[in-house]
Formats: sequence, C-alpha cells, structure tokens
Amino acid sequence: MRDIRKFDARPKLDGSWKFLDDITYEGMIYGQLLYSTCHHGIIKKIQFPKDFELNEFTIVSAKDIVGKNLVPEPEPDQPFMAEDKVSHFGQIILGIAHPSKRTLISFIKQIQIDYQELPAITDIEECLENEDNVFGREIIIDHRREIELESNWIHSHEIYYTPHQEHAYMEPQGIISIWNPADRKMFVKATCQCPYFVKHAVEAIMGKAINEAVIETSEGIGGAFGGKEDFPNVLAGITSLLAYKSGKPVKIMLDRADDFKITTNRHPSRIELHTYTDPATKKIMKLNVDYRLDAGAYQTLSPVVLSRGVLHASGGYNIPDVYIRGRLFRSNTPSNGAFRGFGVPQALAAIEAHADKIASQLNMDPYDFRKTNIFKVGNEFPSTQKITENHLEECLDRVVQKSDYRKKLQEFKEWNVAHKDKKGIGISMGYHGGGYTGNGEKILNSKIKIIIEKDAKVKIFVSSTDMGQGAHTTLAQMFFEAIKHPREKCWVQLPNTSKTPDSGPTVASRTIYIIGTMLQKFALKIKDEMGFTNLEEYVASHQSDFPREFQIKFTPDPTVSFDDNNFRGTAYKDYSWAACVSEIYYHADTYQIELKKIWNVLDIGHPVNLKIAEGQVEGGNIQAMGYALTEFFYKKDFGRMQGFTDYSIPLSLDIPEIDIEFIHTDSDVAKGLGEIPMDYPAPAIRNAFHNAAGIFINEYPLTPERIFKQISSPKNHRI
Amino acid sequence: MKQIKLNLNGEIRSVLVDPTETLLDVLRDKLGIKSPKCGCDRGDCGACNVLLNGRSVRSCLILAIETDGQEVVTVEGISQKGLSRVQETMINKNAFQCGFCAPGIIISATELLNNNPHPTLEEIKEALSGNLCRCTGYLPILEAVRESLEGGKNE
Ligand code: FES
Ligand code: FES
Repeated sequence: MRDIRKFDARPKLDGSWKFLDDITYEGMIYGQLLYSTCHHGIIKKIQFPKDFELNEFTIVSAKDIVGKNLVPEPEPDQPFMAEDKVSHFGQIILGIAHPSKRTLISFIKQIQIDYQELPAITDIEECLENEDNVFGREIIIDHRREIELESNWIHSHEIYYTPHQEHAYMEPQGIISIWNPADRKMFVKATCQCPYFVKHAVEAIMGKAINEAVIETSEGIGGAFGGKEDFPNVLAGITSLLAYKSGKPVKIMLDRADDFKITTNRHPSRIELHTYTDPATKKIMKLNVDYRLDAGAYQTLSPVVLSRGVLHASGGYNIPDVYIRGRLFRSNTPSNGAFRGFGVPQALAAIEAHADKIASQLNMDPYDFRKTNIFKVGNEFPSTQKITENHLEECLDRVVQKSDYRKKLQEFKEWNVAHKDKKGIGISMGYHGGGYTGNGEKILNSKIKIIIEKDAKVKIFVSSTDMGQGAHTTLAQMFFEAIKHPREKCWVQLPNTSKTPDSGPTVASRTIYIIGTMLQKFALKIKDEMGFTNLEEYVASHQSDFPREFQIKFTPDPTVSFDDNNFRGTAYKDYSWAACVSEIYYHADTYQIELKKIWNVLDIGHPVNLKIAEGQVEGGNIQAMGYALTEFFYKKDFGRMQGFTDYSIPLSLDIPEIDIEFIHTDSDVAKGLGEIPMDYPAPAIRNAFHNAAGIFINEYPLTPERIFKQISSPKNHRI
Repeated sequence: MKQIKLNLNGEIRSVLVDPTETLLDVLRDKLGIKSPKCGCDRGDCGACNVLLNGRSVRSCLILAIETDGQEVVTVEGISQKGLSRVQETMINKNAFQCGFCAPGIIISATELLNNNPHPTLEEIKEALSGNLCRCTGYLPILEAVRESLEGGKNE
C-alpha cells in the first residue's frame, strides 16, 4: 500500500507528454467524419460544393469497404458507415480527408445531404415507455419464492429515470492510420481502452486488403471512463479506409461538438420497482424490478451493460422473493456504450432511492431501515450466489459513525425548522462485481508477456492501457513489490498489438484485479521456481539464461461457474463494497443544491497504491456529483450541442470536501476500484435532498428547474 | 498571410499566419509548441491556456495575428530552467491523472501565484475555475497549489 509516484508524473507536468494530436507523421493528411443530421431516413442525394477541387479530397463511403460493413465487437450489429439508410443522428456517412484542416472543414460544412425522413424515436421517455421498442435479448433473474402477500404489507411503487451522461474526457477521440503497401500492414495509433477491439475492427473493415492491423496507443490517453471502449473501433475503421485509399497517413481528431454529438454516452434508464414490506418486521419481503435501458440505434455494448445492471439491481438487501426483468429499447439516437459503472449507477439510482422511500413510509430512519434489510453472510444474491462476507454492513456502519450521521440528522432537523434554506444528509450503499460478468473472464483468457533482460530489467507487456488512472504504475508496482525488485527496473511497455499479447480490454475494473493479480502471482511463482531471494543477483549469476521471455495465461477459478441462460451462479468472484454519506445545503430561493461533503468507506481489498486509489474515488465521486446535479443532454435537439456550455460538468468552484477510508486493506486480493466510486454517491446526494426538503425526486439530475417543477406541480411526490 | 514576430518562451520567433488562424493552431501546427491542448476550441475548457504578456488567456480564442510583437509563455517556457515549485509539488502529490488538463492548469496557477503569492483556498479555486478536469475531481490539484505555498514564495 505504498504511494509510488506515477512514472509519468514528470512529463505530464513539463509539457512533454504526447497525446495523439501532438503526433504528426511525414505526409500526414487530416480526416473528418460526415454524419447524419437526420434521425431516421433514406439518403436521397449527397451534393458536394462546387468551388472545391474534388480530386484533392479522399472520400470514403460504405461502398469503399473491402471487408465487412459491420463492427465486429462487442455485439456485431452496427455498421461502420450508413449505406442508403440512416438509423440515428450521428451515423457516419462519409469519411473525408485533405492535406489542409481548414479546407477540409469548410468543404464539409457545405456538403448537402437530402433525406427522405422516416418516423424516429429521439425522446428517452418515448423510447422507454413503449414496449414495441424492445430489441435484443431479455434477461430474467427469477428468485421468486412462494410467499403469500399479506394484506397489511406496504406496497411501494415508483419509476426512476436517469438521463444520458457524457464522458467528457478532456482529450477528444482521435485516430491516426498509416497504410504500408510493402508489408500490407495497417498501423494505427489510437487513444483507446481496448487495442485488440480496434485491431479486430480495422481487420474487419479492411478485409483482404490488408494482412494485419497493428494497433499502438498514444503515450498519453486523455481520459476515457468507458468512452474509448467502443467508439474507437468505428473511428479506426474509417480512418484506416481513408489511409488505404489516399496512400497517406491520416489523422482524425473529433472536435468537441462532434465528440459530444456522435460518440457513446451512458444509457438512459427507466427502472420500475415494486416492493412489499412487512410493517411488523420492517423487512422487504418481495421485490419486482423492471429494468430498461435506452440502447440507442444498435446493441453494441448494451447487452453486457444490461447484464451487469440487472445483477446489481436489488442492491445490498436481503429480500426473500425477487424478480428482475431487464430489457433494451431501441431509439434513433447514437448507440450508448460503456461508462464507468456500466449499468450499476442506474440500478442504484432506483434501489437506493427506493430504500429511502420505504423508510419514510415506515417512518423509519434510512440507516436503521438499511440495517434491518442489509444482506448478511449466508444470504444470497438473486442469482443464487452466496454472500460470503459482511463487509457491506461494516462499510455502512463505519461511514455512519465517521460522518456523525445521527447527530447531524438531529441538528439539521432543528435548524431546518427555523430556516427557509435547508440542510440535509443522505445515505447510500452499493457493491460492484470485479472483472467481466459470469464466464466472461474465462472466455477472455487473458495473456501477458514478460521479458527479463540481462540487466534484470523487467519489461511487462499487457494490452491494458493507462488513460490516466495510473494502471501502468500500479501494475508494475504489483510485480516489483511482490519480489522486492527495484522499481526503476520494472516497466509496463506501451501497448502495441504486435508486441503485447491480448490481456483483454481495459474495462470492468479488471486491470488491477485480474491483470495485476496475474503479474503478482507470476512474480511469486518465478521467485519460487528459480529459488531466488534477489532477482538482480540471480540474473547476474545466471547471465546465460537471460534475456528470457515468459508467457502467462489467466487461470480461471474452477469454483466459479455461471449459467448465462438463466442468470444463476457466481456472477462475479469478488465484489467491492462501499457506503456513503453526503451532506447538502439547499438554497430555497434559487432551488439549488450545494454539495458540502461526501464520506466514502470502501472495501476494495488491498489498495496497491493508496494515492492512486484515492484519486479514483475522488474522480468518481465528482462524476457522480455531476450525474446527480447538473449533467444532462437535450437529446431531442442534437444539433445544438456545442460542448461544455451546453453540458455542465463540475468546476473547481463546485467541489465538496471528500473523506475516504478503505477497510480490510490487509486482504490478499486487490479488488476492482475504478467504477464503484461513481456508482453510489448520486443516490446519497438525492437522498440528502429528500432529507433536507422533504421532496422526493425520482429522476436525475436534480437541477433547480426540476426541483422548481416538482414543487409547483400538483402531483408531486411529497411523502 | 502575414508575417508576425512574437517573443515565444524568451525567443523571438517569426511566422507566417492567416488572419483567421488562432494562436493555438499557430503554436501547435507552425511553431512546434505542443503543450497547449485543444479540448474544445471554443473557450470552454482552459486546456489551451498560455500566458500572453503575463496574463493567462485561452489561445483558442485569440487570433495569432493579434499577438504580433507580444510575449507568449507556455509550459515549455515555464519549465526551461527546471520546474517551478508548484509543478514539483504537483508531481509529488500525483496531482493529475491523464494530464491533458495539466498544461492549462499550470498556466492558471502560475498566473495566480505571480500576482498573489499567498492565495487562500477560495482564491485558488477561483483562479482554476476556468480549467476543466474530468479525472481528478480537482482536489489533489488544489491541494498541490496550496502545499506549494508552504515554506515561502513561489518562484
Ligand atoms: S481549447 Fe481553448 S478553452 Fe478549450
Ligand atoms: S487529469 Fe485528466 S482531465 Fe485533468
């Protein structure tokens, strides 16, 4: 748990760290995407402006695709480019390149496309209310027990809504492709999370035209949060097509407005909950969840977001009878994709608000209500997986204690009587399964390569990318700390698919948990097998054995099995647990919520690097704050999105105090961390507002407009 | 096209610019200065901040032609003779994650500390309020600026 300084800290501070747009290649030209501004329609005519030399431009459309017009991963249903029909705003129609950025921009602005418009679904509510829009596979988790409903049980029914959320990584998406006809290889430089996804995509679109695609990430990846998991596949495909056709290196950097308009977002959700609670025992006896996601026009990643979402939908509660139904809904908007949390922030938005709703119906404190219903060792998840540790309850107790929850609750109650403004405090709790869902890790079958050089330098080759989260520092640390090797002798190499084996995508809080653990175990294994206490000395005395290369493969745990058809079994081997308290101040005159403080208590097992781990919690908390309070899109009017003036992410002026504590840090396991700090804070903020103002809002974000509307509407949810 | 001369990081540079080109584009594409980043190209994010005659400005909103005869300093310039105390503190505190916002934030922090060597936390927050950062939640950055003040003047 040492605070090793990040290996890239200095170059990031002296301005020398290179992001994709800082790189140029000899003869490189610039590309841009021309995308549909029509949500659903048939392309009638594309008209190029007259006063340009058309032959100076390289233009590609679906017709130029040599391989298949289908992005192969995750779910192969999305074309790279529209053929004659467009299914959503932002669907790419042409890729265009030119040596001058400025000429390119003015050319593209003047291209006219005529569409025959077809009926389109662009509104989240319209999409999610209508069951005709369902597509893809429905998931059912059936944990019903034959329990008779008692007439005095309290029925609580509510529908919860969450909006799109934009990743807003500071570095927009970009790709550089270089075609080499000599060896028929396409070299791609990418700001991405999953080099192998990009490789498969480029090979799919290029088909027989190339022998191989080699993907290397840029040195710097300027944030990703899930946003650079699947869109780079599409972008790299089209950029490569342009490079192939023009014979020149091509760079496409999206401008901010395009990045906002056409790349993936967090799925909007509509989650309907019914619970029945026994007023005598105060226990929830029955839960019914209807979990719906607006997937956008294609499925792509949505089925896996859905499966994680439903597996987390019942929260940390032990409920004897649970029925969860999860479905994807189609709309004519850009496909939604991965975003830190992956279906869990939506799940908790519902169940954690609902817990407070039931508590207030029972006239019970939300903490006491959670204590009564929280699951314990020996209980099971709706998937029938047994609960083996009671750390969620420990997190909850600890966070309540350290935030002085009870005392504050009382104080605020008294303060609120005498003031128009209100103070409030709220709780939430949650968990996040580490790694791919179910049998995913088994199927991924991750691989790592290690080279130990003659000077005992250890080179680690993984396809996991460092997009700022500090993965490469932490991964190296897990290796060198295990065998006490000097840190300057241990480096993670820049991911490049011709050198680095496929250790799976950089997603699902799996990098440290799965890949790091593989590295750590491997270090201990060679120590044992070679019988050294000091690797440097060993290498010095066995020079002829080095350099030596090792291949490491993931070994699945044989006790982990999951039935994908019925959603039964061990969904995740290890869970991270967390609980949170948030304190707010409500300005009654302006209907504004000011977030004062967030307390986090988490069990992520062993935090390898405490500073980096805290950084994940802080960053996740603030993204969750944006989700709860300010961030949303007017998706009905895509055209007007220009960037950060239309979409407010938190500023330095807005941020609250943040308190972080990790428990059970002496564990042997370094569990998932990246996502959980985004999952749980938003409901705690919402619950704090409920506590402050007595107004129950079932939808994010809690903007002044929404609060005002709720107060002035006759059918508001005051409970 | 017009030839302009500017004092860039202590060196006189002359460059041919189109009257509609921004300072950001000219720095990055014609003068090889890559530390100012393009996060939005419309004045929202602060990633492109540079010091123009000592004042922090968004280089995506300034036309290069306006800077004829002026002094421009970027992070490359600030770092020429070793890093400043605030940069060093940011390194020690792991203040950044992806670091895309870092050059702009260093410019804002440098301007603040040049004018106000002992700012309060509120003043630091205010000075950095025009710089977006999506990774860190700002806290380690604010702490680093604050910590760099301890033990004397920031140079
Ligand atoms: S690029 Fe200039 S403010 Fe964002
Ligand atoms: S560190 Fe990534 S945007 Fe600031």
